[in-house]
Amino acid sequence: MSVQARIVDGPLDPQAPEASPGSGAVLRFEGVVRPVEPQGPGGAPRELAALHYETYDPMAERSLAALATEMLARHRVHAIRVLHSRGRVSAGAISFTLEVRAAHRAEAIAALTEFIDRMKRDVPIWKRPVWR
Amino acid sequence: MSDRETARFRVLLFGPARERASADHVLVDAPVGTACAGLLQAMGAQHPALAFVLPAARLAVNHALAPADRVPDPGDEIALIALVDGG
Repeated sequence: MSVQARIVDGPLDPQAPEASPGSGAVLRFEGVVRPVEPQGPGGAPRELAALHYETYDPMAERSLAALATEMLARHRVHAIRVLHSRGRVSAGAISFTLEVRAAHRAEAIAALTEFIDRMKRDVPIWKRPVWR
Repeated sequence: MSDRETARFRVLLFGPARERASADHVLVDAPVGTACAGLLQAMGAQHPALAFVLPAARLAVNHALAPADRVPDPGDEIALIALVDGG
């Protein structure tokens, strides 16, 4: 059972999950900056050049690690690896990756979904649109 | 008349709160012994520009989310955690 959590400057690289003997389910979620976003709640769609991510350090990285540890225990998954960008990430690039390894898909999917919901609520990371 | 001593707290700002306040922190005066919930109320009264984020905001004390009844020390590192983004 293992946890890795890191904040990384700039966009993330697409990578295949590492081999994980003993895990029947390996999920990798990639969060990609959308090229078009509404300008404000309910606003008209507008082209986006990038998102700028601001983190409260070191709380952001610590919070990701604590959340991963909690999800590991709650959902009985084997490993969680999470990376999140800080700074500018262009539209179409990856700003967040979450890998979950588990014996079966049900607990892997549950852990992934709850992790992302909780991250948006509890981890001090803010994004600011950079419009075209 | 209350004789409770007043303390000054420095609260770090991020994201939309920092943009709205045009500052990376605000100073908040509150009686010594004020808990986080009271500190948020005092912040709203003393810095009305931040009122829009306070209903969903929490405080972090020394890099950990603090419960509403936590009593911070003026020397603690206090941050306003107001996550208003969608996914």
